[in-house]
Amino acid sequence: MKFFSTNACICRDGDDNRPMPSPLLVIEHLRVDFPEVVAVNDLSLTVAAGDVCGLIGPNGAGKTTTMRAISGLQECTRGSVKVGGHELASEPDELKRRLGFMPDFCPTYDQLTTTEFLDHFARAYDVPNRAQRIGQCLELTWLTEKRDALCEELSRGMKQRLVLAKTLLPDPEVLLLDEPASGLDPLGRIELRKILLQLRGAGKAVLISSHILTELSGFCNTAAIMERGKLVKCGSIAELGREMGTRKMSVKWRADGDLALEILKGAGVKNLEPSNLGAAFDFDGGTDALDDLLKTLVTRGVRVAEWRGVGDDLEQIFLQSGAKELM
Amino acid sequence: MNLNDNPIFLTQKRLVHRAGVLAAVLIAALVGASLLSGLIAYLAAPLDYNFRSSQDAGRMFYGWVIGVEILVLVVGGFSRICNTLANERKAGLWDSNRLTPLQPWQLVTGYWFGSPLREFYMAVVLAGIGLVIVLLGRLSPALWLGTQLLIFSTALFFGLLAVLIGLVAQRPQNGVILFLLFFLLQFPSFTMPKFLLTNFLLPIYGMADLFRDAADTNSADLLESWNGLPNIFGLPVYPILLSLALQLIVGIFLWRAAVRKTASPFQPLFLRWEAIALFAIILLAQHGLIWGLWRGHFSTAADQGRYYDRESILSIVHCGTLFLGTIVLAFSSAQPERMRVKALRLGFKNPGAIFSGSAVSLAFVLAAVAAAVLLTQCALSLADSWEIYLIAVGNLLAFFLVFSLLLEFCRLRFKRRALGFVALWLFVLCVLPFILAGVFSTAAIGKLSLLSPGIVALANPHDDGLNYLLGIVAGHLAIAFLLFLGWQRQWKQLLAKASTIQN
Repeated sequence: MKFFSTNACICRDGDDNRPMPSPLLVIEHLRVDFPEVVAVNDLSLTVAAGDVCGLIGPNGAGKTTTMRAISGLQECTRGSVKVGGHELASEPDELKRRLGFMPDFCPTYDQLTTTEFLDHFARAYDVPNRAQRIGQCLELTWLTEKRDALCEELSRGMKQRLVLAKTLLPDPEVLLLDEPASGLDPLGRIELRKILLQLRGAGKAVLISSHILTELSGFCNTAAIMERGKLVKCGSIAELGREMGTRKMSVKWRADGDLALEILKGAGVKNLEPSNLGAAFDFDGGTDALDDLLKTLVTRGVRVAEWRGVGDDLEQIFLQSGAKELM
Repeated sequence: MNLNDNPIFLTQKRLVHRAGVLAAVLIAALVGASLLSGLIAYLAAPLDYNFRSSQDAGRMFYGWVIGVEILVLVVGGFSRICNTLANERKAGLWDSNRLTPLQPWQLVTGYWFGSPLREFYMAVVLAGIGLVIVLLGRLSPALWLGTQLLIFSTALFFGLLAVLIGLVAQRPQNGVILFLLFFLLQFPSFTMPKFLLTNFLLPIYGMADLFRDAADTNSADLLESWNGLPNIFGLPVYPILLSLALQLIVGIFLWRAAVRKTASPFQPLFLRWEAIALFAIILLAQHGLIWGLWRGHFSTAADQGRYYDRESILSIVHCGTLFLGTIVLAFSSAQPERMRVKALRLGFKNPGAIFSGSAVSLAFVLAAVAAAVLLTQCALSLADSWEIYLIAVGNLLAFFLVFSLLLEFCRLRFKRRALGFVALWLFVLCVLPFILAGVFSTAAIGKLSLLSPGIVALANPHDDGLNYLLGIVAGHLAIAFLLFLGWQRQWKQLLAKASTIQN
């Protein structure tokens, strides 16, 4: 995949051997103006079926505005949004059936039970077998035990899961999740990750925003980095990693530390920091050169116990993308 | 679509029932039962009371019942819808519902009928007790049927208005304040009930007419001004029909606005043609009501002393025209930010395009409509009253222009502080002259007000100072011209900025 300097991006890895699935979400030259500021500027992005795309950026980068514009809640100055081939401007009703939007806060009817809340939206979306589908969604979001609880009795994390259940209810092709894990406890985040991987497996296109990168790593296979309304970088996680150049690596070994350090020095790594049975270093080469270095260590007899990039891939990508000024 | 298939209605119903309706219904029942027991007590011992007959007692007790019913259903329902919508907008539920495949009209219907259900139940209980009172008091069932029809149609009309206010108001209480303001402004119109439209939009005259029909034929306690059928351009019309027709026509415009605003909150409340049509219909109906006073001979007929006591009506109508025009212009005035976005989208930099889309061009159209309708009052005496007509029309034009230019200028120049500055300048141009006139005891200063020329000329058609008023109108138009220059400059700056951002 190539990075388009025109601020356009297809979130797909060039090395991905899977057949190119149909793009479910296509955004072209999207622009949103606020008084005194261009909130989203000439953003083009495509998310295909089976992709979970992380929309990353500091606060105020335009992530939420982008999501609101895609869903039709925010007026666009120009540009087009297509969901499943249906244009937002000309076929809003078709788009509504195919799109699920989970906002970054939890709008619920406090005096309804969770089941009644979901029933409201199931009716609105004309979901077949309502009761069964509501049960499935409650189960998927771990809320079955709370099916008769009033929404006002739920914790913030539970409300977040309920709104996620509401979003999943009509089984939309495209999901926009704005900061979905912000109120979740660690267990909730693990569950969210499972749900998102299921959705990915089910061929949904998911655009998920967050400024907490650890939330996104693990289930995003693509990422789009925004800063001040513009798309700074976009592509598959692997490809973006390759584009980064310098990588921070960590290696641990069981023995032969001196030999390992000698090999690493010889390979021209930077900022080598030895530690007990291991070392951290910066590496400028690409993925192939990194693979070769590991191969050299192993073939020369170093018993490598661990070999990994330091921090999340997304974190590295983000920090090196230049989109950190507002953090 | 059946209401019971409407998820918004069902959810609102659930919420109302969950919060409890029994206590509210029992309160309504107790109020109604108290009034009913009063009538029963009279029927049991008529000599202990001051009523002339059972009908007289029945009318009095039924009058109280419908008073409470109006308070509950019209005022309470209005407030409930406003609050529900404003709160759900704030909570994000409105957006969640808008993102579902539900049609905009389904959303509007759901809130319109669903949120005031508690008030509806209370009204139904009161209406039932009212029917018993009507029957026990040997009153005509037509009284009950007519008044209930008017109450429910008014509740629907104001419910729709509440939906609209709930969609645009930042704070839920704003709607209720507007509603109460409307009621307060209504009171002065009671002095000439048959001639002012607000007495038909709120079906006050229709109710009074029904009660009068139910009264003893020789009853002399009703004021003369509350007697007889109203006339539209000389044709007598049943007040109940006039009220229903007016509410229906204005309601259709409100409905269209509510549905459009639901479909896309970025659209204006009224399309341009809707704003003009609504303004024209209301004005035409109002002038139709008073047409019988002069039959096209305004000022000369008054000169003959035939309508001397009613000559101020036209100046009151003129005042109402200014008020209505202000509201229409305020809702149709272009938000600078929207115009800037439009400019960016379409790439136009032509101030002419801005002019056609702004409220300034609408001000010309509204003034032209008002002038055409005002002509119906003096068309047959124009040779004598052309000066008065000219002053009134000039005043309308100047006021509409100054208001629309001022509003857009302040929005462009002062942005979030715009309303404060609009209020300041309107105070200076409209109210300050009256204060100074009082302070210096000089009526001439009061005539300098932007409101004065038309009102003064129409109220005193034989005043010698018409030339002075013409001069004042010319001065007001000069102020409008200066504002126009400033307005044009602000727009040019905004468009230049928009094109810079675009590039």
